[in-house]
Amino acid sequence: MEERLYELIFICRPDTPEADVDKVIATLEHTVTEKGAKIEKTEKWGRKRMAYRVQRLREGFYVFMVLRSSHGEVVKELERRLKVADPVMKYITVRVDEELKRQDKLKRHREKRAARRPRKTVPSAFPPAGPAPAPAAAGGSEPASAAS
Amino acid sequence: MADEQAPRPPAPPAAPSGPSGHSGPPSGGHSGPPSGGHSGPPGRFGPGGPRPQGGPGGPGGRPGGPAKRGKRSFVRKKKVCRFCVDKSDYIDYKRAEILAPFLQERGKILPRRMTGTCSRHQRWLTVAIKRAQNIALLPFAAEL
Repeated sequence: MEERLYELIFICRPDTPEADVDKVIATLEHTVTEKGAKIEKTEKWGRKRMAYRVQRLREGFYVFMVLRSSHGEVVKELERRLKVADPVMKYITVRVDEELKRQDKLKRHREKRAARRPRKTVPSAFPPAGPAPAPAAAGGSEPASAAS
Repeated sequence: MADEQAPRPPAPPAAPSGPSGHSGPPSGGHSGPPSGGHSGPPGRFGPGGPRPQGGPGGPGGRPGGPAKRGKRSFVRKKKVCRFCVDKSDYIDYKRAEILAPFLQERGKILPRRMTGTCSRHQRWLTVAIKRAQNIALLPFAAEL
């Protein structure tokens, strides 16, 4: 089966110490490697204000991960773990490979067309975001250790 | 408004001009279309009498919103899909700041007719907004 790319975001309670967040990340990394998938990236976006209250809290500590896997059980297991983990309030897993594939295809198509015709280059206001745009809003974003 | 009463010679040639002609103050020209100051029989020039060209809003007005949508605007400003202009092939749900302008104050997704987004990008946009809502990057509804 071909490889799939997933994006995983989870939100920890804002009052958890950073060490606990790291612990959650470590367990996730452990499960992922155990299942034969790999983590491409881990980013801590830091404390952000949420758009609505979750568990009566207005802020949350966001963590963003990208993982590559060839089978879906990894996601199932990860979500189970996130559900159990105490500091985690909310999480979401999104499969993105198909959309990225579509993006690639459209880009190639556009380049082909542009090559045929005289091209006018227009600087784009928001460039086509790859798998990982820098979270500009986040204060304490630091690329943490990405285990493989 | 007085000159509107004068018997008009055949329509001025520049009547169906685009929005480019007149980009002055948007509301000054056509301040009172349905007002009672107009004493003559209405209906000769259609309701409200002839309106100056230019339509509502100058160029550059974003989605518009209900305030600007005049009841009888003859020249409608052509809206362009923002994502087509930027040639984006993927709308990222993680960037709430680019999605936020497509939400109403209360958190509803703005329809295409308001924002001018093309159908393809609107489809992508709704998916992105819904994903962003699920991780509290965007609101489902405004909080009271």
